[in-house]
Formats: sequence, C-alpha cells, structure tokens
Amino acid sequence: MRLFENLIKDRLGTISLIVIVVTIVVGIFAPIFAPHDPEEVNMSLRYASSSWDYLLGNDHLGRCILSRIIYGIRPSVLWVLVALFISVLIGAVLGFLAGYFRGKVDATVMRICDTMLSFPGYVMALAVVGILGVGLENILIAFTLIKWAWFARIIRTSVMQFAEKEYVKFAKASGISDVKIIYKHMVPVTFSDIAVISSSSIGSMILQVSGFSFLGLGIQAPNAEWGMMLNEAREVMFTRPELMLAPGLAIIMVVSAFNFFSDALQVAIDPKLITSKNKLQEELTISKIKLQKRWQNNL
Amino acid sequence: MKKRKMFVFLTMLMYLFVLVGCSDGNDAKTVSTNNKKKTELVYASAKDINDMNPHLYGGSMPAQGMVYESLVENTEDGIKPLLAESWEISKDGKVYTFHLREDVKFHDGEPFNAEAVKKNIEAVQNNAEKHSWIKLSTKIESVNIVDAYTVELVLSEAYYPTLVELSMTRPYVFLSPKDFKNGGTKDGVNGFNGTGPYILTKHKTDEYATFKANENYWGGSPEIKKITSKVLPAGETTFLALQKGEVNFVFTDDRGADSLDVEAMNQLVDSGDYQLVRSEPMNTKMIVANSSKSDNPVSETAVREAIWHSIDRETISKDILNGTETVANTLFSPNVNYADVDLKKRGYDLEEAKEILEESGWAAKDGSDVRTKDGKKLAMKLYYDSNSSSQKTQAEFIQASVKEIGIQLEIIGEESTSIANRRSTGDYDLLFNQTWGLAYDPQSTISAFTSEASYLHTTSGIANSDELYKKIDEVMVSPDEKTRKSLYADILTIVHDEAVFIPISNGSVTVVAPKNLKGISFKQTQFELPFELMNFE
Amino acid sequence: MGSYIIKRLFISIPLLLVISFLTFILINLSPLDPVEVVLQAQGVPTITDELIAQTKDELGMDKPFIIRYFDWVIACLQLDFGVSYVTGKPVWSLIGPAFLNTLKLTLVSSVVIIVLSILLGVICAMKEGEIMDKSVRGFSFFLTAMPSYWMATLMIWYFSVKVDLLPTSGMESYKSYILPVIVIAISYAGIYFRVVRSSMLSNLNEDYVLYGRACGLTERKVTMHILRNSLQVAISIFCMAIPIILGSTVVIENVFAWPGLGSLSVRAILGRDFPIIQAYVLILAVAFVLFNTISDIINAVMNPKLRNEI
Repeated sequence: MRLFENLIKDRLGTISLIVIVVTIVVGIFAPIFAPHDPEEVNMSLRYASSSWDYLLGNDHLGRCILSRIIYGIRPSVLWVLVALFISVLIGAVLGFLAGYFRGKVDATVMRICDTMLSFPGYVMALAVVGILGVGLENILIAFTLIKWAWFARIIRTSVMQFAEKEYVKFAKASGISDVKIIYKHMVPVTFSDIAVISSSSIGSMILQVSGFSFLGLGIQAPNAEWGMMLNEAREVMFTRPELMLAPGLAIIMVVSAFNFFSDALQVAIDPKLITSKNKLQEELTISKIKLQKRWQNNL
Repeated sequence: MKKRKMFVFLTMLMYLFVLVGCSDGNDAKTVSTNNKKKTELVYASAKDINDMNPHLYGGSMPAQGMVYESLVENTEDGIKPLLAESWEISKDGKVYTFHLREDVKFHDGEPFNAEAVKKNIEAVQNNAEKHSWIKLSTKIESVNIVDAYTVELVLSEAYYPTLVELSMTRPYVFLSPKDFKNGGTKDGVNGFNGTGPYILTKHKTDEYATFKANENYWGGSPEIKKITSKVLPAGETTFLALQKGEVNFVFTDDRGADSLDVEAMNQLVDSGDYQLVRSEPMNTKMIVANSSKSDNPVSETAVREAIWHSIDRETISKDILNGTETVANTLFSPNVNYADVDLKKRGYDLEEAKEILEESGWAAKDGSDVRTKDGKKLAMKLYYDSNSSSQKTQAEFIQASVKEIGIQLEIIGEESTSIANRRSTGDYDLLFNQTWGLAYDPQSTISAFTSEASYLHTTSGIANSDELYKKIDEVMVSPDEKTRKSLYADILTIVHDEAVFIPISNGSVTVVAPKNLKGISFKQTQFELPFELMNFE
Repeated sequence: MGSYIIKRLFISIPLLLVISFLTFILINLSPLDPVEVVLQAQGVPTITDELIAQTKDELGMDKPFIIRYFDWVIACLQLDFGVSYVTGKPVWSLIGPAFLNTLKLTLVSSVVIIVLSILLGVICAMKEGEIMDKSVRGFSFFLTAMPSYWMATLMIWYFSVKVDLLPTSGMESYKSYILPVIVIAISYAGIYFRVVRSSMLSNLNEDYVLYGRACGLTERKVTMHILRNSLQVAISIFCMAIPIILGSTVVIENVFAWPGLGSLSVRAILGRDFPIIQAYVLILAVAFVLFNTISDIINAVMNPKLRNEI
C-alpha cells in the first residue's frame, strides 16, 4: 500500500493513471460509451464535420469518428496490453526458472533468448506478417515472440540478485520447496521490477503496433484502429487535415499517460530515484549492454 | 512537484502547437509548376517501370507504349497504319501481307525491315505458353519475308481479330534484333531499343526512369523532349509532389488505379496550375467471382447474384467517385462492339438479395449476423489493389452493404501483381478487376475467359462452362458477322446469368497535367498515352 | 588485442548459423509451394504434376531438408538469394541497392543522434535541475510519445509544402535526407540523450571528480575528464543504436518514399514476394549481429578491462 500512497502523492502520475484507467474502461465497455455503431456506413454524411450527433464528425464512409476512436481502444491499447501480458508471463516464468535454478536450464533459456533477440523487433514483425499474412493478430504474435525474450532476460537478472540474498539461502537450506520459495519470497520482491519494465515498454509497443496498421500491415477493415484511422486520414490529409487530429492525439495522450505512469511507478517503488528520474530505464539500457556481453560469453 | 508542472505545461504547449499547425492546413501553398520545364514531363507512378522487355508482361505499359510500336494502330475509326503502311488479307483470311514503312530505324540505328519483323514475331511465338491469352499466338503458322519491306503472316485458320491483336501494346511490338539474347527474348534482352517516339535513357529501379525524345522518329520528333517516370507512393505523397512541381503529371495506371482521389484532383485544378482531362468511359470496373472455388459459397450462383443486388452503384458513383464514373449494370457497356444485348438488370435491392439467399438455403440463425448453410458460414474474401484509394473505399462500402444481408466479407489490400497472381492461380473468392478497354473489348476479354492466366477460374465453375468455351472458340474464327453477333449475345447472356462478373462502374482514364499542356488525347487502349502529341503552350 | 577480436568474431559464428537456420525454416512455413510459385513466375500456364516433379528435381527440392539448407547457405554467401517472384529479377539486384540506401539513412541519422544527445545530455547534466534541463527533458518526453509517421507527415506538410524548402520524398540530393533524418533523430535522441545525461551525472559524483576539484583543477578540465568517461557509455550505446535504427526505418521510409529496405519489404509483403522477405530478414539479422560484434570490439579497444571478459 505504501506503493499506492507514493503514487497518489505524485499528481502527474495520478492523472496518468486516471487517463489509463478511463481509457481501459471505455475500451472494454465500448458499446456503452460509443454513441454509434463504429461500422455503420452512411454515405450521406461522408466527411461531415462535427455535429451534436457526431461530436468528432464522420469519415470517408460517413462513419462516426468518435465511436471509431472509442472502439479503436480495443486493438490499439487493450490487445497490445494482452500481448504484453502474455510476453511478460512467458518471460517471467522462464526468467524465474533460469535465474533461480541456473545451470543447464539457464544456459538453454538464455541461448533461445539470444537467438530471438538477434532479430530486430521490426524485422521479426515483418517476417511474421510476410509469412502468415497481414493482420493485427500476426503483428501481436510477432511482438510477443520478440518481447518475451527481452523480459525473460531482465527478470532473470532481477531474480538472480535476490536469489543470492541470505534469507533465500536460509529458506533453501531449511528445506522449503523451491516452488514455495519462489512463490513466497521471490515473486513479491521481483514484482516491482517486472511492473516497471513492463509499464515502460507499453508506450513504445502501442506506437509500433499502430505504425504497422498505418502501413496497412496491421488490422484490416472495417475494424477501427488508431493507426489505420491515421492512414485513412493521410489520404485526404490536405483536403481534410482535421481527420489527422483525433486519432493522432489519442495515441499521444495514451502513450504519454503510460510513459508518465511508468515514470511515477519507478519513483513510487524507489523514492531515492527522485533525484534522477528515469534512472531505471537508463540503467536498463546500460545493463542491456552488459547483458549482451554476458550472453556472448555463454555461447 | 514544480518540475512536474513544467512537464505538463510544456506538453500542453506542444499539443497546442500541433493543433494550431493542423487547423490551417487548407491553405497549403501551391507552387506553380516551373516555367523552365517547358518541354519536360515528370509523371508519378506507384510502381517502377520494371522489365521493359516488350515480349513479356512485367513492364509498365505506359512506358512500353512510348518506346515500342506495333504494325497497326487501333483507333476510334478502326484499324489504321502504323509501322505497316498498308496490308492485304487473302480471300480465305489466312494470309496477311504487310507493307512496312521504309523510313523507320530502331533507337540503336538498326533498320526496321521485314527481317526484324520476322525475328520479333518468331521470338514471341517461341514463348507461346506465355501468350496463350492472345489467341493470335495459337494461330500463327509462319512469318515469311517477301522482300526487304514486305512481310507475310500465315495463319492456321481465319481469325477475325488478327489486326486488333497485332495493334496491342504487347507482345506484337518490335525490339531491335541486336538486343536479343540467344536469338530470342524469352530469357531477357540486352537493351530496350524500340522504334517509338521515346528512348529509355536511364533507369534506377524503384526511383525513376527517364525517356528522351527520339529525334529521328519517323513521325517527327516529339515536342515534349524529356519524360520522367518517378516512383512515388500513391496518395498524399503524390499530391504533395504535384503541388510542389516535383512531378507535373499523373494518370490512371495500367491496373486502373488512380493515385489521387477525386477531391485531391479537384483541389489541384482549383489551384490554377493544373487541368484535369478525362477520357470517354473505356472499361468496366467490376468484382470478379471465383466460380470454381467449390468449397466456398462464392461458387453458388445465388450468392453471386445476392452480392450483385447488394451493391449500391448509384452511391458509389455519386459519393465515392464524385460522379466521375457512371454506373455499370453489365459486363460491357452497350456501346462496346457486339455488347448491345438485352440482359436482365439487377438493381440495388437488399430485400431481393436476402430473398435469394433465403431461397438457396442460406438461413440467418437467430441472433447471428452471418448466414449459414449446413454449418458453413457465408463468408468470403475480397482482394483490392492497395495502391488505389477508391478501390479500398468501395471495398469497405460493399463490405458494409453485404453485412446487412448476412454475408461476412473480409477485405484484403495487396499489390496489383499479387492480385494478378491470385487471379491466375484461382487463390481468391472475389477480387477487383476491370475489363481491358475499348481496344480489347469484347474479344480479348472474352477469349481471356478461357485463359488460365486470366478468367479461367472465374468461369470454369459455372454449370454450362463447356458450352461457353465452345461458343468462345467458335466466335473467334467465325467469318460471318451475323453468327458472331448471336454467339457474342449467347456468351454475354451466360456469364450475366451466372453473375460471375459483377459490374460496378464504367471507368475512364484520368490525366492531371499542367494547365498549359496542350494536345492531351487518349488511345483506344486504356494503358498508354500519346505523349508525342502533347506540347506546352 | 588481435586475439580478442578473433575470439569475438568466432563467437558470432554459431549465432549466425542459428539465425540462418531459423530464417530458412521460416520461409519453408509459407503457405505457398515454392515450386509452384517458381513455375508461375516463369509464366507457365498449366502446371501439371509431372512438371512440378521435374522442377522439384531441377531446383533440388527433393533433397533432404538439411542438405537443402546448406545449399541455400552457400548460395546466400555468394549473394544468390534467388529470384523475386514478382519482378523476376535476382533478389540481390533489388535488395543490395536498397540496403545501401537504408544504411546511408541510418548512418547519417546516427551521427545526428550522437551529436544531439551528447550535446543535450552534457548541457542538461551540467545544468541539472535548472530550467534548461527540465524543458529539454519535458520536450523529449513529449516527442517520444508522438507516432513518428504522424510527425513525419506534419513535417512534410510544413517544410515541404507550406514553406517549400525541402523535397517531399525520394532520395535525390542531400536535401532529401533532412526530413527523414530529423524524424528518426527526434524519436531516438529523446531516449539516448537521457542515457548520456545520467552517465554524466553519475560520473559527476565519482571520486576522481572530487579529487580533481580538490586539487584545484579548473572546472573546464574537470568537465573534460567527465566527458571522456561518459563518452564510453555513449559510444557503446550508439553502436547498439545503429542496428536498431537499421531495422526500424520501415515506417519512415514508407512515408518519405525512401528507396530502401523498409519500402522494399513492405511492398514485398503486400505482393507476397517471399524470396525478398526471406533475404530481408536474413540480411538484417546478420547486420544486427555484425554491428553488435563491431560495437563490442570498439568497446574493448576503448576499455582494455573488457577484453578479459570474454
């Protein structure tokens, strides 16, 4: 609860959290919040500007832009969160196994991680889309494939630190089962690290996924997605520039909220960090270099 | 805390900046096309000109049309001389004798003569499988040199569209025999020296290609001295480049896709720097259904008919295409030769569409959006050209319409080459396509019904396909006009009744050009433009 | 030193083998039968079973999987990646120049990123907590939340159309570089300048700084010392940044119609041109490994202590 109190004290963090929660709730209950059916075509309202009925106006098929933004939360944010959750889950399980048991398990897991990480994220995504065909699910599969390795490696480092602690050694020596040790002693302490690294990658993941939809490789019509809405708006950018606005700002708002939140989360977990913000993220980058060294040694 | 406030403030400031920046986008400054470029055209194209080998099909047709020429030309008033000054046809219709122009040279200086004609036609014939869509390739028996400038084409049987097929952009056009590889063209060529008004001078793959005027052109040196084909993504990039004068010309590409939407074109015209020229309707834009895909609902006539009924062509023509294309109700518009046939009109009628589906056993189970039959969903895929913004919009529009009658339509954008590939392998349910244009309709489009590379998969699944193919074979060799007429009527009725070609609109070729460019005209084929006739005021 | 480099290079080889094997499997997962596609690309109108068997034989497709893999690796080493399904040209003739163009864009962008992040990182570290520091960091926070393609489109609209200073797209002169480089630099400098800044800050608290100050060195000299130490972190980060940028120019290249790998690969996907996709994945993964190796070697040169770590 101390964590929550710290978080509450941080006003920007609170605002971000509210934005995130509101976005998620609105996304989940989109049918309740959306004033219209997002796929309802009405050609007589093609490119209509905003009105009381259609607060943000209508798009090239006369569909309600506000409703599309609201429904767009699902693929643009919620599905990304699901993909992130899955990759964190896989990463956490393997990271725990590797970091706790070390030895052969560690070597194998890390070897697989290294291989996955030698494909740059975008390249892997293009490869998967190229073979399985365009579509949001394939983009998300690609991201899960890439990200879990990255999470596994960081979580492993974090687990290794704690596994060396005296009380864990003591627990081991007194014959408590490994499962119990992991569950009782390791998960709680490493949880904050996991929360921070996963929250810090949401922003960039949302941006990347929307980028693929923007290129036409992500979600397919008629589903609403912010990147795709921007792509549609781009086609009429000089005749109807206002269409670029709503989806663009929606992305910026949500991504900034996640970034600020992740920032606030770090500070809340470790108030010492307040002097040099984002230290963890920077350390992560630096530790990535060190890790790189290590895996090369492992080979 | 202070620090945080600063963050918020700055962030807000940026949002504001962006908002302001966007809202006055309407008065985007237009740059007048440069005055000094008086003799130069730069056109934007979504695709590279690709392999310019005129005896294969990889290259861009507008580019090939500038460089290569055929023996005869198809015009509004019928077949006219081009590289052949005159010709005679034997009584039995089997021997064509062409008298060639004597003042023609290839770009590399080689003479154009009977020998070159023989070599070129033989090079085409040596790769016959590739050209099976053009029936003439299966009829040519030999090419004989009569004298230096007279050449004789001997056919196995009389074939009435011979001259029309010889007039096409490819494959019966002429490349300097010096460019042949291993005595032929099917394994590639060493150069691209044709006889046409323009010479390919430089080609940077996926960037640009430049053509300079052929000063020794037999028809007189063209006034436009340089033409550049610049690869630009369709849409706003092209629009911007036009506004800035980086390119000054765009036209409908050889897949029928316009790189600009109608509003953008109108905005360019309103700026005062550009003019918009549109040809007469030249083709029919349509959705092609794969009748031979037996595991898919699309193989059922009733389903195809229902789709036909659920397309609101009026709205597509009026709102999506801004009135630039007219509604099409039949595969060929009645002004096409032999196509003035009385066919049942299937209008926009969702109720009737539902009824048709209901009758054929596709039932809407309570609560479900998608109809089913024997546990199978009424779901299909429609492919569109990802470079065409209007096709995408139409696809989305149709997707929404058919949803109302309980059809689940997945729409997928792909490159045109991939769509062509799907068409020839039968790996599709529905796809956007167009008839081949006035010069090719109806005979080439119809003979393509039997060609695997084209519409074989579209037509082979229908009930009386054997009868259809028999009639097509007959009509191509029938010397009697009256018989031909009745055969064409039968053919068109069969495909219409089976609803395998679902027409949408009659398309035309659109050109956006600098205001002071004169002499813009069109050819009967929708694929090339006569650049040599254009000039700046 | 020499032995380190050799050892380091040697370590990359198994990784490269694994990568190439994965890429090979990847493409064998594709739903199209490669034999049929090759026949189609050659324009054969009717594909019979005998023809398929015969072509299979010609292409060596009936050999065991592992032998095909090694044949393929050997062909790739000779830059023979097969023939594009769509254009019929050798894949290398398309992907080679595109790779060069992407590399040019990446290198120019990386230089700008280095300069920008060192400059901003140092300034912000020196003025920690002051208005300059805060505003730069606030601004960078905002910029990293902006979709790069959105920013790119806005910039085209402003600089190319409104002010008419720069070309909208393509790659014709040095001017064509400006906008894409700015967009890439902005998205990455925001991240890397923070790294420089924090490494500067942690150096500021090191003993040698206190010692130097205590000995009466001028502030300028102390700064130079700090800078030199921070540079090491910076350089290793930038070495890592290059391959990352190389792989992520996809979106930007498409917006600016840059004739590079990103544009090529997206077109290949939309055109289902598998040999190009395969070569693209392989080349970038190999480049990724090579750049990481080079960055390790550079680091080892700068910091001899690392050499023993191998």
